[in-house]
Amino acid sequence: MTRRAGLTSFIGQRWSVAFLLIELVFFSSLAGGFFSLNGAQIVLFYSTTLALLATAETMVIVTGGIDLSVGFVMGFASVVSAKLAGALTDRGLPPDMALLFAILVTLAIGLTPGLVNGLLVARLKVPPFLATFSVQGITYGISLLLTKGSAAVNVPNLANVIGNGYFIYVVPGQGGSFFSAPRVARGTTVIDLIPTMVVVTVVFVAVAAFLLKRTKFGRHTYAIGGNIDAAVRAGINASRHLVVIYVLSSFLATLSGIIYMMEYVTGKSDAGSSFMLDSIVAVVIGGASLFGGVGTVWRSILGVLILSVLEMGLKIMGVQTFDKYIAVGVILIFAVLIDQFFPELIHKED
Amino acid sequence: MGDRALGMNRGKAPAPVVSVLGRNWAFFFLLLTLVVFSLTGKNFFALNNFQNIVHLATTSLLLACAETFVIITGGIDLSVGFVLGLSAVSASSTMQVLYAAHWSAAASILAGIGVGLASSLACGLAAGVLVSRYRVPPFIATLGTQGIAIGVTYHICGGFPVWYLPPGLTDIGNAYLLYIHPASGAWSFFSRPAGVAANQVKELVRVFPVSFFLIIVFLLLLWHLLKNTRFGQHTYAIGGSLDASVRAGINTRRHLISIYVLSALLAGIAGIVDLFQTGTGNFTTFGAQLELFAIAAVIIGGASLMGGKGRVLASVVGVLLLKVLENGLNLSGVEPFYRYIAVGLILIVAVVIDQLFPDLF
Repeated sequence: MTRRAGLTSFIGQRWSVAFLLIELVFFSSLAGGFFSLNGAQIVLFYSTTLALLATAETMVIVTGGIDLSVGFVMGFASVVSAKLAGALTDRGLPPDMALLFAILVTLAIGLTPGLVNGLLVARLKVPPFLATFSVQGITYGISLLLTKGSAAVNVPNLANVIGNGYFIYVVPGQGGSFFSAPRVARGTTVIDLIPTMVVVTVVFVAVAAFLLKRTKFGRHTYAIGGNIDAAVRAGINASRHLVVIYVLSSFLATLSGIIYMMEYVTGKSDAGSSFMLDSIVAVVIGGASLFGGVGTVWRSILGVLILSVLEMGLKIMGVQTFDKYIAVGVILIFAVLIDQFFPELIHKED
Repeated sequence: MGDRALGMNRGKAPAPVVSVLGRNWAFFFLLLTLVVFSLTGKNFFALNNFQNIVHLATTSLLLACAETFVIITGGIDLSVGFVLGLSAVSASSTMQVLYAAHWSAAASILAGIGVGLASSLACGLAAGVLVSRYRVPPFIATLGTQGIAIGVTYHICGGFPVWYLPPGLTDIGNAYLLYIHPASGAWSFFSRPAGVAANQVKELVRVFPVSFFLIIVFLLLLWHLLKNTRFGQHTYAIGGSLDASVRAGINTRRHLISIYVLSALLAGIAGIVDLFQTGTGNFTTFGAQLELFAIAAVIIGGASLMGGKGRVLASVVGVLLLKVLENGLNLSGVEPFYRYIAVGLILIVAVVIDQLFPDLF
């Protein structure tokens, strides 16, 4: 390879990293307060829900499918968990028990849309687009029924404390504490580090990334996306595997909804309505192919960060957020064009 | 996909009755819903209500037709919903500005229509070039043009509907061909009979909305285009096998561009229709999912996302089924929230039938 080809290859493989860096430099110089500890934490805090949805979408897209239901499953989960937590607290349960119980029950219920998706796609051979579109309508309808169209706000304040809490609190010169703010005299500076919800998100994303990259489960997922017939002939139970994939996707979407409920202390049926397409966009920017077989969780997270930095940067600059949509549209087309022109450069390592 | 054993009906010719039922199940289901809602819905079985259903379905029908052409080629157009909004907003803003600059109402309306259609044309051209020249998957190309359409739309209207338009828009958009006043026997075309006062409007019998006329013309044209012309044949051929079409000498690149331009233009026309019906330049809200409902209607009509299958009239049945369900559930006093669930369930039934009996379609 000539040096020139090597350089193009280097940029081709890392254009999304390069793009993120350009964004960061751009907003750091133009958006006041963006380049700060707080600015970074706000971007990460904002990314949590989308990151989980994009992780879910990555798994499905790697198999060659698509999951349109993640957005409304997220809204559904936020509604169910908010309603349950509120109702249980009203019944006299202590808030921590009520919250824990609500979260566990919601996680269990949240598997259902995924199970339906999976069975429709794997057993009844319904195209994923249609199966998940139908299921999104049903979940949306149910969450609207539960809330009668308004937001569920009767959430115990503990959700707020945890959802908007930080992992580490540092009091300069006096040490610090984990998870809850240290009791110090009024006026003492306390530095909040890493929102708790970011930690939770990173843990789950890391597990998903590990699952996809390092385990037999992950290899089978790529095999199915690469060529499902070959995967079946190789002895993979593709049907069962697909069901598990859609259930996992639904699980992550549910988790995203619960995190939304903790962060914003509400349950809204349309909480994720605009996130559905954003999550697909993030996965595609991350270099995954909608035909399946290609894509990694960390690259999708890169896509999420590109979107969140763009959104938050524009917000801090006070630019109308409509521009975000133009920018995203252009980035998306740009991402695929690079993909088309340098296919061998980008997918070499996958 | 995985085990092929599910295609059990393949090779065995089904009984003719089953075949007819399966092939047109959406149509029979539509008839069934009409009968059921006639019994349960208050004022459902009435000339007025049926006219309303079609009137309100005009834009959805246009979008579904657009989607039919694209889906037959094996593509998908996610931008139609927001191209509709872009067309409505750019047309109405043009009308607003020109009318304020003392152009005549007719001239500003015509110029506005031109601008609206041109904006949608640009979207379609961009999507078409991306799909056919640069081989960008249609899903992503149209997702990209959708984002740009959203951004431009909101730039034009600032997130508010466009008001202060030339007078007469709704007079045209909501007009009926024939107005009859049974009490006095007076009747007239296109507007309220001279002898009828404004407070007697409720007594008027209005027949045949103008939008009905418009949609019939468009449906006939598109049906003819798809069914009887070479353009239609090539559309099916490309959806059946792109490679085979290229080898057969079809200029697939140019054809695909025309398909996406046609799709966007139909969406643009839908935007203009919406403008005439509401008298406001409405942008498309984020949760509207107009494109997803259009796609759903096309699939209910028996088209396949794999391409090669689909009919204009079947997509019309799909749209009417969704609209009648919405209207009927509403008039039967069902909470609107159940609508989403009902539509989702029916869609699942549709695709499962399609998958279990592939040779029926």
